[in-house]
Amino acid sequence: MKTIEWQYLIVSYLFLGGLSAGLYFVSALTELFRKDDDSAQEHIARLGALLASWPVMLGCTLLVFDLGHWYRAYKLFLHFRWESPMSIGSWLLMLFICISLIYAYGWTSRDGREHFFGRLPRRLRFLGILNVDVAPWRRPLAIAGLPVSVGVAIYTGVLLGAVQSRPFWNTNLVAQLFLFSALSSGCALLILVLAMRSRKFEMYQFRSLYLLDVCFLTLEFFIVVPYFIHGELSVEAVRESLKLVLGGPFTMVFWVFLMGLGLVLPWAIEVREVVPLFLTHVQLLPRMGVATPSPAGASVSVVSELSALAPPANKLHFSRGWAVAAALLVLVGGVLVRYIFVFAGQMSAIR
Amino acid sequence: MAMRTKRYALAIDAKKCIDCKACVVACRAENGVPLGKSRNWINEELRGDWPKLMEVFEPEQCHHCEAPACVRVCPTGASYQRADGVVAVNPSECVGCRYCMIACPYDARFFREDLGVVEKCDLCAHRLDRGELPACVETCPSKVRIFGDLNDPTSEIHQILEKRQYRLKKREAGTGPQIYYLL
Repeated sequence: MKTIEWQYLIVSYLFLGGLSAGLYFVSALTELFRKDDDSAQEHIARLGALLASWPVMLGCTLLVFDLGHWYRAYKLFLHFRWESPMSIGSWLLMLFICISLIYAYGWTSRDGREHFFGRLPRRLRFLGILNVDVAPWRRPLAIAGLPVSVGVAIYTGVLLGAVQSRPFWNTNLVAQLFLFSALSSGCALLILVLAMRSRKFEMYQFRSLYLLDVCFLTLEFFIVVPYFIHGELSVEAVRESLKLVLGGPFTMVFWVFLMGLGLVLPWAIEVREVVPLFLTHVQLLPRMGVATPSPAGASVSVVSELSALAPPANKLHFSRGWAVAAALLVLVGGVLVRYIFVFAGQMSAIR
Repeated sequence: MAMRTKRYALAIDAKKCIDCKACVVACRAENGVPLGKSRNWINEELRGDWPKLMEVFEPEQCHHCEAPACVRVCPTGASYQRADGVVAVNPSECVGCRYCMIACPYDARFFREDLGVVEKCDLCAHRLDRGELPACVETCPSKVRIFGDLNDPTSEIHQILEKRQYRLKKREAGTGPQIYYLL
């Protein structure tokens, strides 16, 4: 009796978990490599840190409600079975949620904390002992959390791939595809939020995000290609399962919506935004805290030395509209990867 | 194969099967399987071209694999393998994640929505412990099913597998299935 057991709740969780892992990864990476006085990079790191915990917590809630008994979820934590990717995954998720919450707390402002703890009702005043500044721990937390976030991003693919009975999944490439798709979704959400909200900064100051996302999307592309080459050269069951996306029910959604709109198009948009950086010989990470590009025709001033490092504004695209479009497409692609793999995988079988 | 004192298995002489489904009904009655779900079933296949047609019936259920994928992926250990090789589910530990159903190459498991747990054939473990045969084996009118202990040289299944050729389904999944289809 073949049934599709894992459906949209699982698809949503796989996306949300990956999104959180990506947000944390990008935030931690930015925090570790940013210059101390680069306020735009700091802004990226803060935003990523503050956003990272929420999608995964929502995703875990969905997971729990997908179980036969939601109230039995605690049993997952009474056992540790290293052979079961799901057991490893549930412990990883717990660890990740804890670390990402502490990391996010490290990015809260002193005023915000004072305000929050000052307004607690009298009976909860004892919680004031939690009003500690974790900011000095940001970098150690970033280092500790990086492998955990990669683990959360990659284990979902391992979870699917670790099953011999589903030839569509049974390759290490699914894990890698999920990893880079997750990291790219994290980048994309940051680009999206920054493009829509951060008027203080120019978009070109977030170029590190574009570059990261271009890398992730390129890697994703070069995982999909060998996935097919390897699959077509594999045993019959695998070739049979690939028909689901090569002339089967998922062909259109895979090639047009995922590969076309979710991968190649946003990649092209982001490359178009990034290429001028290389053509105008701008340093990727400015040595000094340049906040704004020199307005065209502005008189030379004290900051001329600083603005010399900034790219001439008229040579760069970096439009907010394109940023929003590319980011949305990447996010849709992230959902589609999981949708296709969850459903097609369960439909595949050894004959 | 790991050293076991007992290794229960099933040999199926599918040529004798007449598709009466008595095994399915017996299992349902014995184990309280709800309608619409089934722990065992009969595959039907039409072979050849008209007018030279042949209908082939092949009973199937959990293969009680030697290296069961379902047991490996279970996050809580609810799916387990007994010392005698029988693969079973402990419903009080099952959280209903259904990973085992996805991992099973034979799709031999089903989800009980009413109980929120996964169920499967356990070769009527409660009957085995009383020294009885599984319900499907006992009830089969055409003696399709031969059940016994592979490690016991005097058992019928041991002797028949020594003499006759057999086929294992989906061996390439690598789980070591233990339903022997006699040729």
